[in-house]
Amino acid sequence: MRSYIGVKEIYQSDEKHLGITWTDGAESKLDVVELRRKCPCASCVDERTGERILKPDSVANTVRPLQIDSVGRYACVIGFNDGHNTGIYSFKYLRQLSGIS
Amino acid sequence: MGVLDQFFKKKDLEITEDMVREALKVIIDPDLDKDIVSLGFVRNLKIDRGAVEFEVNLTTPACPVKEKFKSEAEAAVKSIPGVESVHVIMTATTKGQTKSPQTANSLGKVANIILVASGKGGVGKSTSAVNLAYGLSSAGSKVGLLDADIHGPSIPMMTGVKNPTQMNGDLVLPPIKDNIKMISISMFSGTDQAAIMRGPMASSMVKNFVTQVDWGELDYLVIDCPPGTGDIHLSLAQIAPATGVVIVTSPQDVAVIDAKKAIHMYSTLQIPILGIIETMSYFEVENKKYYLFGEGGGVKLAESYSLPLLGQIPLEVQVSESSDKGSPVVLQAGKASAAYRNFSGNVAREVSILHATRGESLSSFSLKWRGA
Repeated sequence: MRSYIGVKEIYQSDEKHLGITWTDGAESKLDVVELRRKCPCASCVDERTGERILKPDSVANTVRPLQIDSVGRYACVIGFNDGHNTGIYSFKYLRQLSGIS
Repeated sequence: MGVLDQFFKKKDLEITEDMVREALKVIIDPDLDKDIVSLGFVRNLKIDRGAVEFEVNLTTPACPVKEKFKSEAEAAVKSIPGVESVHVIMTATTKGQTKSPQTANSLGKVANIILVASGKGGVGKSTSAVNLAYGLSSAGSKVGLLDADIHGPSIPMMTGVKNPTQMNGDLVLPPIKDNIKMISISMFSGTDQAAIMRGPMASSMVKNFVTQVDWGELDYLVIDCPPGTGDIHLSLAQIAPATGVVIVTSPQDVAVIDAKKAIHMYSTLQIPILGIIETMSYFEVENKKYYLFGEGGGVKLAESYSLPLLGQIPLEVQVSESSDKGSPVVLQAGKASAAYRNFSGNVAREVSILHATRGESLSSFSLKWRGA
């Protein structure tokens, strides 16, 4: 009902994986190229229909984050080296992407 | 033999502190998910033969489960063989931290600052702020109320508070009404006069408000923010080290859209969002609910951001009438009143949870990618 799950630790796990240890002990390893392809921002996903506007092919396999900053206590924003930096990835979404409820 | 018998009997029945603590471990704080002994709530344990006395020290006097804890604690200790009487004293120490050099004099002894904000005006933000302050106060907390809505101050009308008359050095001593310390912009300009100010002036006015009032010792300072997501909010967030913010919305889409903006703004400002309160939820006639402004806008908003829904306040004539009369609805009987009491308990609970969980989770982070 109330999810107060936050980030205990966030780190670069290898060349293309973002590691997160959650406060409930769960671990995430996220492929940063996938993260870019699954950007939840309004220019990548249609706000009304939820349909993905961004074509996965248009994202190069070489895309990498430059910086990852927390947004309040519920999300983080990822600035990518292709210039895209509008995606706010909620912790909930990141956990979903890594298959944790 | 008789003497020895008695000796052994007494030995058998001797109640130790450990026994009492062990018995009290069955009581779990539902929010913090730990037992009250491990949480260190049990204090000043005194055992005098069959009479046991102790304190249960909670994290807020406005704890919604206070009475439940008390009766559970009594029952648990009474079940120990040999215990004849149990005296439980409920106390509270509100955890908090709002210190910053700028505001040391004015806010140094304020444990928690709670912002009440909405994206949209007219959704019942001031009403919610006033009733939150009264709700917390009637539960036994020391409360202050700051009306920072400089373009539409309404607290004096809603509470009937008079203007301040005393100073402590350079600081204004806030007037007290119904045990609540209150300050409003209209105390300095009059309710009928508009504060015609450009952004920078408005911001410095708010800054003065926060830094030049001697709030003294408070458990909670409730700040009624102006509607919107602008200059004044940024200043407030920078000056007043807020514990958290309550977002007010009515069920309409047009209000919810603006509430989302407020959520994003406070997230950006790293002020924890305590939850959502939905006002004007429904109008009830003869047990039938009419959703005049649509159904569940606040509920959906809370769900989509995984935020607690702190309350749903029904539309009642009493709410607006009592606001206009200067006697908040939470002091009266009725459904809206009960909803507001429930809401203020939930806010206190969320603040306690926030303090309890703050240690583990990073409040902010910034990670630079290597080799990008």
